[in-house]
Amino acid sequence: MQSSYGGVLGLSQKSGGTQNTGLLPLTVKQISEAAQNSSDDTFYIDGIDVNNVTILGMVHNKEERSTDVSFLLDDGTGRVEVKRWIDGQDTFENEQIAALQDGVYVRVHGHLRSFQGKRNIVAFSVRPVTDFNEVTYHFLECIFVHLHNSKANGMAVKGPSISSPNYGNPVGGGAPSQYVTPNMTGVGGSMDECQKRVHSVFEEPSSLSSEVGLHIDDVARRIPGFTKKQVKDAIEFLVNEGLIYSTIDDDHYKSTNG
Amino acid sequence: MDTSNPAPLVNAELLKRYPGRRVRCVLKLVRAEGNSAFSGLTSDGMHVSVKQVPSATSLSQYVEVIGVVDSDRSIRAEMCTNFGDNFDMSSFNQLVQMANSEHQSLFI
Repeated sequence: MQSSYGGVLGLSQKSGGTQNTGLLPLTVKQISEAAQNSSDDTFYIDGIDVNNVTILGMVHNKEERSTDVSFLLDDGTGRVEVKRWIDGQDTFENEQIAALQDGVYVRVHGHLRSFQGKRNIVAFSVRPVTDFNEVTYHFLECIFVHLHNSKANGMAVKGPSISSPNYGNPVGGGAPSQYVTPNMTGVGGSMDECQKRVHSVFEEPSSLSSEVGLHIDDVARRIPGFTKKQVKDAIEFLVNEGLIYSTIDDDHYKSTNG
Repeated sequence: MDTSNPAPLVNAELLKRYPGRRVRCVLKLVRAEGNSAFSGLTSDGMHVSVKQVPSATSLSQYVEVIGVVDSDRSIRAEMCTNFGDNFDMSSFNQLVQMANSEHQSLFI
């Protein structure tokens, strides 16, 4: 269960090997609002690299072609195109695809992609829902994982009133969350909120493992609620404190911790 | 990718927030009225009637209605999906409350 929270728990500490290989449950609305890295067109949500995703909704406009089957998945928050490549030889696959009809609720597992500016899912599994408590479960999981990842990345989160007792604490105890807001005691004096947030973005494993670090714009996108000028000022402060340094040009910075 | 027309999850209390809007609601079947209507209980325990149902006689105990809010206590159905006979209404009700308040940003 730990790895399903976007790989937060149990990530390796060494730099250069900290890709998220976990599974993110998402709503179509979250997918439409996911931020995109300017350098390599990968996505991230709540500070986590988006890799494997799972969505759940109703099939519409199913189209079967010789090499693939595609449909629109409507989960009540929006519609996204889902495509599944067909092998032709694989009977299990063929059965799965035959079970897809318009109006059927399905659970999709796949990768989030972007093609000509439009986001879509390339699915490796599409399974009809049989117990409809799964619908409630999926959306509750989306809320839970969103809260967990947002808190871990130091973003401002309104206190949730989740009453189900199981969700009182992150599952699995033991290993602390990877994305703890970095220790500020070395800095001295008070770092304001923006500086703290910018610093924690640079301290994320995905930032530490990148050779050139992050572009100012990438940082600004990850912490909504601050202007680009505030982010730039925060970066200047962090450079003066010796916490980050510029890499390939004046717009790219990396933590001195990496 | 299209998020222009979301259908919020609702219970009886939230129906009145979306008059004339398309919503999603799970109801516990109380009584079928002819072949094109039925009345049901929402997840917060109120009676709601549903009209223009495709085939009200083959409904399971729990039904998801996607349709337009007609009044505080009635929905004009576009689609009905059988949600089976084992559905946890109290969890669903809590989801509905969260999806319309503090976690609205994930849904609508």
